[in-house]
Amino acid sequence: MTKDKKHKQQPNRRQALMMMGAAGTAGLMGPMAIGRDRAFAANADASGQLVLAFSQEPTVFNPLMPHIEVDEGLYYAVFDPLFDFDPSGEFFPILAAEVPTVANGGISEDGLSWSLKLKDGVTWHDGTPFTAEDVKFSLELTMDPDFRSFRSTGYKLMRNITVVSDTELTWEMSAPFAPMAAILASTYIIPKHAFDGVADKNNTPFNNAPIGTGPFKFKTRMAGDHIELEANADYHMDGPFLKTLIIKYVPDLNVMYTQFKSGDIDVIGLQYITPDHLAEAETLKGKVVTVAGTATFESLGLNMTRPQFQDRAVRQALYAALDKSSIIEALYYGVPSPTETYMPRQSYYYNPDLPKHEFSIDKANAILDEAGWMRGPDGIREKNGVKLVFSNSTTAGNHLREQAQQFMQQTFSQIGVKMEIKNLPPAVMWGDYWMNSEFDSVVVGLNALAGADPDTSNYFMSTMSPALGGSGQNTFAYQNPKVDELLVKGAATFVPEQRKAIYEEIQMIIREDLPFLPMFQYAVIKGWKDDVTGPAPNVNNRIDTWNVRDWKRG
Amino acid sequence: MLRYILSRLGQSLVLLLIVSFIGFAVLTLAPGGPLSQFALSPGMTQEQIEKIAAQMGLDRPVAVQYFDWLRHLVVGDWGTSYRDGQSVLHVIGSHLFATLLLMGSATVISVSLGSTIGIFSALRRRSGFDYTMTVLAMIALSIPTFWFGLIAIYVFSLNLGWLPAGNMYTVGDGSVLDYLRHLIMPAAVLALVDVAIWSRYMRTSTLNVINQDFVRTARAKGLTRRRVVLKHIVGNSLVPMITLAGLQLPMVLGGALVTETVFTWPGMGRLFLDSLGYSDYPVVMGLLMASAILVLIGNLAADLIVALIDPRIRLD
Amino acid sequence: MTSVTTNTPARRRFLKSRALRRFVSHPLALIGLLMVLVLTIACFLGPYFLPYDELFIDLRARFAPPGTGAHIFGTDPLGRDIAARLFHAGQISMAVGFAVMIIATAIGSVVGVISGYYGGKVSAVLMRIVDAFLSFPSVFLLLALAAFLQPGPVMIALIISATSWMEVARIVEAEVKSLRNQDFVQAAHMLGLSNRWIMFRELLPNAIGPIIVAATLTVARAILLEAYISFLGYGIQPPLPSWGNMLNGAQQYLASAPWLAIVPGVAITIAVTGFNFIGDGLRDAFDSRTQGH
Repeated sequence: MTKDKKHKQQPNRRQALMMMGAAGTAGLMGPMAIGRDRAFAANADASGQLVLAFSQEPTVFNPLMPHIEVDEGLYYAVFDPLFDFDPSGEFFPILAAEVPTVANGGISEDGLSWSLKLKDGVTWHDGTPFTAEDVKFSLELTMDPDFRSFRSTGYKLMRNITVVSDTELTWEMSAPFAPMAAILASTYIIPKHAFDGVADKNNTPFNNAPIGTGPFKFKTRMAGDHIELEANADYHMDGPFLKTLIIKYVPDLNVMYTQFKSGDIDVIGLQYITPDHLAEAETLKGKVVTVAGTATFESLGLNMTRPQFQDRAVRQALYAALDKSSIIEALYYGVPSPTETYMPRQSYYYNPDLPKHEFSIDKANAILDEAGWMRGPDGIREKNGVKLVFSNSTTAGNHLREQAQQFMQQTFSQIGVKMEIKNLPPAVMWGDYWMNSEFDSVVVGLNALAGADPDTSNYFMSTMSPALGGSGQNTFAYQNPKVDELLVKGAATFVPEQRKAIYEEIQMIIREDLPFLPMFQYAVIKGWKDDVTGPAPNVNNRIDTWNVRDWKRG
Repeated sequence: MLRYILSRLGQSLVLLLIVSFIGFAVLTLAPGGPLSQFALSPGMTQEQIEKIAAQMGLDRPVAVQYFDWLRHLVVGDWGTSYRDGQSVLHVIGSHLFATLLLMGSATVISVSLGSTIGIFSALRRRSGFDYTMTVLAMIALSIPTFWFGLIAIYVFSLNLGWLPAGNMYTVGDGSVLDYLRHLIMPAAVLALVDVAIWSRYMRTSTLNVINQDFVRTARAKGLTRRRVVLKHIVGNSLVPMITLAGLQLPMVLGGALVTETVFTWPGMGRLFLDSLGYSDYPVVMGLLMASAILVLIGNLAADLIVALIDPRIRLD
Repeated sequence: MTSVTTNTPARRRFLKSRALRRFVSHPLALIGLLMVLVLTIACFLGPYFLPYDELFIDLRARFAPPGTGAHIFGTDPLGRDIAARLFHAGQISMAVGFAVMIIATAIGSVVGVISGYYGGKVSAVLMRIVDAFLSFPSVFLLLALAAFLQPGPVMIALIISATSWMEVARIVEAEVKSLRNQDFVQAAHMLGLSNRWIMFRELLPNAIGPIIVAATLTVARAILLEAYISFLGYGIQPPLPSWGNMLNGAQQYLASAPWLAIVPGVAITIAVTGFNFIGDGLRDAFDSRTQGH
């Protein structure tokens, strides 16, 4: 997928460094470099125990089945993908001997033929050798109609997966699809032999006792409490450096923070330290606390099929009346950074030249006056029988979001807009209500990217909206023929420089159209004991343990 | 006696059927569903979600799903958790110990403390002690358990730093002392309401006994007050308490749910909330059924024990 | 549903006046009444004396501790005045409590009187349904319902009612059963009065004492249950305040802003204690066999 790696690498890495520096995390690049350059080195002796805490419980142990973010926290320890993204968005090989690119011949010029070379001498946790058959099995299982598979995007295009030898396989694509590499980077390979003779592949002993090639072996699970993993002494990369890794489940963020403070937890993971504790956490003795950007962006998403939002002036006025900086500074304690787009600023494809948001009630009022939205006797603006009244929904119980929502409600009322809050329990909110665009507007945090690939067709292509008869995640029901055209072009283009231009243009158009009012790019507050080295932010992965093989104590 | 037990069991089965029907209807007819948790995953499509729903049998009519579930339940197959693919019985079983430990400790505290307070209140009726305990019990009954838990955490964990704020044990420690340190606060908080209830009922029960003929006779025979209290009053006033213990079960279970939430205790209450959050219907249904069964057994056992030890009560 | 009729048996009028006398000489009951009255007045009149609107957000004034300026109970994470929110929340929480009392008492009385009057199979079926509801741990049922239904004060009141009517049904059933064969009922039969008339005009009014006691305790229970559900995030949703949802976010700020948890918790405790005291007093007042005070 990268025709000329060198060229892309330099500005990107520098950029990433700069942005991390800006977020107050300078000096994080050190630990990141550990291990990778010394691949295949003899394993150092693993020692010590590390307790990593998540506020959700990993429960799905077959990585090809439907799962959530936190489950991936375990996958990185137990399984390996073929290759993965490093923090600068570059691929590095894991089970693959080499990451396939157009340049090295792994991908044909037309993007239709792929060939993949695997590492030799890798074994599963039970001692069985790892071969190309396992990879073929994993890829095909994903497409098996009887298997409860996590996703089909990309895989649907794969044809003729052929095992050439134990360490090589090839396949064809029915259409060129650049994001395929990123999809493979989040595909964990599972052992074929664990499914031998299994009638129902949805229901196997493997689901409760996973076998991988990863740095840690699955040992025990205390349901509702913790999972214990032990070092895989035969790991094929450098590491692991910990004898025991414990993934602890602490459902309450305050308890989690208290236990981090008291030293019961060595590394505080997913959901992390809440922003209101940042000031105190930074003063803790013997702890490293850093703020790291993630690929998730928070926005006020609009349902573009609603009459209130048809007029671009309304969307612009709402954006002008959105007091972003107060929300970020006061409610989120300045932790996240304001953004104008869905693309994380760490990304190579980020467009830094988008118009900057300015909070101004006067300007918002002026826009609406000019567009002919007049205040009625109740103080609410209307035009042609359409009143500027709409509901706003998010997950009930997300306190910070609920606070932001109530704050927005107050500022919007100053421009003659009535926003009613209608929050729903998670199972209801993110069911049909979200997928079929039954909402007026939402406050939502989305990660529109798969890894570091810039493709977002699923979210912004007009054919991807269930409300408009399509199938995908375009729940804002956004339609713009120009964006459709660019997204198609971008997905079929393999040269990063060419893709960058395409995706920067898409960001510009979406910034003008405002199908969602971008608020901020999420940042999380990570913390670990100062004798722990290794944890490093990686905006291209969904969870911290992407490099758990490098983690060390002392 | 046997006929009584059989008829009670028969009634219980009908009750369970009603409970299961209500529970299932509420869960499956409500909007949302077990797949909504994947909606925000990058690359997830409506098509994919529908495909998974079909594979899990969630696209079938509710009645079909219900009878399918019931058919399996009858033969001991409580279904499979949507979350981790384990059998529901196994999932519940793995959370049972934590809840039983918490409920058991709370019950020991509330029965011993509550009974003692109740008996003393009855023996010293209308004393300062009696009035104070009455008022305290009423207040204890009025405090929201979870709020009391929060205040306890604020005082003992955050301010004084004496006790851990949550979890059942420290990973890697797990000694008895470690368990105890984690157990004290949640057990005490959960016991608060029950101490109040037990003391109230024990007081009434003791008063009833004191006024009965055999106690008067015993006193008249010249037995010491101490002996009368220990031999006649305490024993006899405890009998109705056994029924109460049975009736209190759903309360304690409900209280455990909230207490487990506040103290991040890895028991069935926590599991119930997590399962609700994930719309893991098989586990939610399993917990509803398990708790209903527990309650029914508790009530039946209480009635039987009372019948066995109290010759005045005859079942039939 | 029941109206006091003119043909009230004299027995009951006597009982009522005596009950009233017993009630006013019950110290706890009076204290309870006082607590509830003070709280009710504060909740309904308090907002007129406060300089702040319960919905007004002022981010510069967030987390002000109690006693800062005119914020007697401090401010919340959005800088809203907690006293103003507490009073409005009280209106909602108490409204939910009373709504539940009315609904649950109505359902319970109807079920109880029908079951008690007809007896036999009707009673067996109705009482098994009561048992079924009783064998649900109510918090489990409440959460299962609230997790999937649109949460709002009306819905929450209905859900809590669904788990609160059984007590009344049992009490009424027992009472009606014991009254069924008494002379005045026989007389009514002889006069050819309809079953409905006898049930609701003759029997139910005679069970009014225990019903009032149960109803009072139901208010206390409903306020507590609303707090439980809202605390767990499934109840009444912000920005509408309720005592329960004011506590919902408070756990997070327990270390830095403990008043967020303390103030609404104390309000709930006062309200529930008040109703429980009143209920206790009423029980003693109506129960001639009382041995307590």
